[in-house]
Amino acid sequence: MSRDDVDVRLLKELTEQSQDLNSDAVRITREALERFTEEAAATQRRSRWSRTGVVGVLTGAGTLFGAGRAAASSDDVMALQTAASIENLAVSTYQTAAGLPFIQQGNKTVAEFIAKTTEQHREHAKAFNSAVTQAGGKPQNAADPKYDAVVKKAMPGLKTPADVVKLAISLEDVAAETYTKNVGQVSNAQLRRLFGSVAPVEAQHRAVLLTVQSLLADGKADLIASPTQPDKLPATVGSVGIPDTFYPTKNASPVNEGAVK
Amino acid sequence: MTADRHPWEMPISESELTSATRDLDEAHRETLPLMFARAHDLSEELTETAPRDPATTSARRVFLMGAGGAVVTFALAACGSRARFVSATDTESPSESGSPSESESATASPSASAGAYTGELKGVALSAALENQAVNAYQSALSAANAGKLGTVPPAVSTFMKTAMGQHADHAKAWNSALQNAGKQPITGIPLTSQQSVAAALGKVTSVDEAARLALKLEDQATQTYLAAVSTATDKRGIDMAASIAPVEAMHAAILNFILGENLVPNAFISTDMAAKPSDLTV
Repeated sequence: MSRDDVDVRLLKELTEQSQDLNSDAVRITREALERFTEEAAATQRRSRWSRTGVVGVLTGAGTLFGAGRAAASSDDVMALQTAASIENLAVSTYQTAAGLPFIQQGNKTVAEFIAKTTEQHREHAKAFNSAVTQAGGKPQNAADPKYDAVVKKAMPGLKTPADVVKLAISLEDVAAETYTKNVGQVSNAQLRRLFGSVAPVEAQHRAVLLTVQSLLADGKADLIASPTQPDKLPATVGSVGIPDTFYPTKNASPVNEGAVK
Repeated sequence: MTADRHPWEMPISESELTSATRDLDEAHRETLPLMFARAHDLSEELTETAPRDPATTSARRVFLMGAGGAVVTFALAACGSRARFVSATDTESPSESGSPSESESATASPSASAGAYTGELKGVALSAALENQAVNAYQSALSAANAGKLGTVPPAVSTFMKTAMGQHADHAKAWNSALQNAGKQPITGIPLTSQQSVAAALGKVTSVDEAARLALKLEDQATQTYLAAVSTATDKRGIDMAASIAPVEAMHAAILNFILGENLVPNAFISTDMAAKPSDLTV
């Protein structure tokens, strides 16, 4: 068996493992959403009974029992809508970036990362909007207004891959900080799990982008490759992508920032 | 937006970048006092809510309850010229599997006793133990590298190991601060059912690639354990702390993926299949 044969086999195996893991993660997130749906539906039923006044006393007890467990608060709905708005903006920004000539004709790994990341943000938006709908809210299909303005202002100035990377780092950081904070803000375990399963992924996007940024700044774009050449990487690559010991939240968006008006 | 934290408009030298990175690191370390303060608050909350009778400990109060999946143990399996880790359901307690390994007994907290941690404090102790395990793994890898057992170690890999190890040590310190403030002994060792197999795997590592793959498994497990924790914990400050650490472990994994030439961000959502469980704690 030639070395090429072995590598192809290994690549196939690793790809399958990766796909299995991703499928598991998507399944788990879907299950969390399904549980959320069931419990939200139960809460809505209790709420409808309350409105009809048929079983007022019992409803009071039921709502109390459900409080903090499955019932989504208005803050929950707004947080989910804001998250969807951040994801929508990320998708549109990456899509625009992917169409820029210096990205299309530039570093292959950067282009592939942008394509994959766009798809992951699309999945996040779908998950957040699904949770919004299940909580009885309106899905958010628009971009976060605050950062949409920032992106629009930055777009004409995107002249190099480094420009794109800088903008993307900012968006990923806002997303990661916001969801990290949201974990402690939402009112039930299913939503904590949803935000908690997405925040680390945005942080990973940021880690990769920070590394790419440092390599571009160091004139080592050739090392932005997969696989890279570890022995040629500057020492700083080992730390520049992991600047935080605890993920900060001071720049987290307020829950109502991207809420549907 | 935090774009101004990472100025890059003009190409700069590596030394300048190193300096800038150090500044960034120092800036973010300013968050440590805040986290330790949160740890103090967390300990007060946990002390106030700790069940008086461990036998009546409600599952509702168990912090860091795993997702119910298989306990992941690590074993090094040959795969061509490379190595990969396989998971297995570990149903053996240390007593069932024989005497603890040297590494396990050498690192276990001498002051900890069986059942010392109950309720959500057990989850805090599990977190500290996992962080200690990561610190130990990176320290062992660095020692092996210094001894020339891993071949030539790229500077970026060495830097990564030192940086990640320092961050894990800070995480352990935060969790242990919460334990101590609650009147409990800190977790100074690695009282985990998985430690024997992790130590064995570390002992067999002969290359940077193998060391990085082991580290990747530990980082993934830590991330997933914290995700499981935020789903099941009830204390807000504990949830906040776990939520702020999970992304950092995930970033470690992303850098390891880059070094290993793997898919950089393989999953759109983090799962909990590999999450550690409170029952993995042996004290």
